[in-house]
Amino acid sequence: MELDFSPVIASARYLIEGLQLTVLLSLLTILLSALFGGVLGLTRSYGPSWLRWPIVFYIDSMRSIPVLVVLVWTYFALPIITGVVLPPFWAALVALTAHISAFVAEIVRAGVLSVRRGQLNAAHALGMSRWQSIRTIVLPQAIVRMLPAFGSIISITIKDTAIAAVIAVPEFMNRSQTVAGQSFHPIEVFTVAMAVYFLILFPVTRAVDALYGRLAYLGRS
Amino acid sequence: MTLDWSVVPQHAGALLEGAKLTVLLAVVTMLVAIPGGIVLALMRLSSIRALSLAAAAFVELFRNLPLILVIYTAYYILPLATELNFSPLATGIIALSLNVSAYNGETFRAGIASIRKGQSEAAFALGMSHWHTMREIVLPQAIQRVFPVLTSTWVSLFKDTSLVSVISVGELAYVSMRVRSQTFRVLEMLTAMAAVYWLLGYPQAKLSDWVNRRYGVKE
Repeated sequence: MELDFSPVIASARYLIEGLQLTVLLSLLTILLSALFGGVLGLTRSYGPSWLRWPIVFYIDSMRSIPVLVVLVWTYFALPIITGVVLPPFWAALVALTAHISAFVAEIVRAGVLSVRRGQLNAAHALGMSRWQSIRTIVLPQAIVRMLPAFGSIISITIKDTAIAAVIAVPEFMNRSQTVAGQSFHPIEVFTVAMAVYFLILFPVTRAVDALYGRLAYLGRS
Repeated sequence: MTLDWSVVPQHAGALLEGAKLTVLLAVVTMLVAIPGGIVLALMRLSSIRALSLAAAAFVELFRNLPLILVIYTAYYILPLATELNFSPLATGIIALSLNVSAYNGETFRAGIASIRKGQSEAAFALGMSHWHTMREIVLPQAIQRVFPVLTSTWVSLFKDTSLVSVISVGELAYVSMRVRSQTFRVLEMLTAMAAVYWLLGYPQAKLSDWVNRRYGVKE
């Protein structure tokens, strides 16, 4: 079997553009998911009870449906209901955010619950308001404990953006497929794609593992 | 917008077949990936450096690749590398098994490491061999301890099987999308697909939560 990497080199620029879109999609998804997931997680933990059960239902549903299904549904079916056709990139951003936020919400809830109840009671006894005690007592401790799990979310998000290739977002996976198909050298192209994803993801997971080690002692209260 | 939901019951048979294949994919993958994970964990903890390095490389590689890329690559590389014909189903199972074995390898490694050293030392003192100790003393406890984690992995795997639709394995996602393009009932079929995944996945996620609460290791 002769390997010929020249098609990859010839399409380097095209592939790098895809890579930039992968990075952009990952960053935006992570930022938006942190925001929405944070709101969902906090509302589930501290919000009014009538809001809690729809949030629990939403989170558990997102945990039961494959991200591919969410992507395909958002891109093809949602426009039929709303009448607004989203370009693939924005559909992917909406779908991935809807999906990842649910997982972030679970992490936020676990982090917040890990701070013992007595601390909140003590804050109330000192005359602090509910929001004030959550913000100044619970959250600073909870966020430190959430960091490692949130790091895993970053690597999951980067991997999930590859699935957006299915709805023709011209990110790195999609462009690799195009080059593979046009050049008739799929093995070389996909080998390079694996190397690129690995080089991005390995430092992230290593950093997360290191974070687990560094912060594990802070998890005890 | 005119919707015609009758397309869903009309194709209920196809959806059912797809759902069956989804379950089969998940079951077969797990049956491969549990022994695979145990072997990887034992290799990783082995005193033979070549074995532990090989296992570490395998685990780190597949933990750090998007599954969809592994599926595509397997689809193109397997026939060329082995000169055998792999059906899409077999290719899908191989790709899923590589991925889940890597995760299970880490799970079992943590499980084995969590069994106190005093237990294997006691077994050695009683004259048991290394392998005998591992099999009789350490592994049974480790497997019991990581069971809740395995249920979480199962829930993820069940969803990840949808990705093999990209190499046209006729599971639930593939079947639903095929009926969609044949009938042009896009919203109806895609919603039905999501609903079937929800009906199958929701109880599993809840059950896994319960197992984790009930049997999960607490500090």
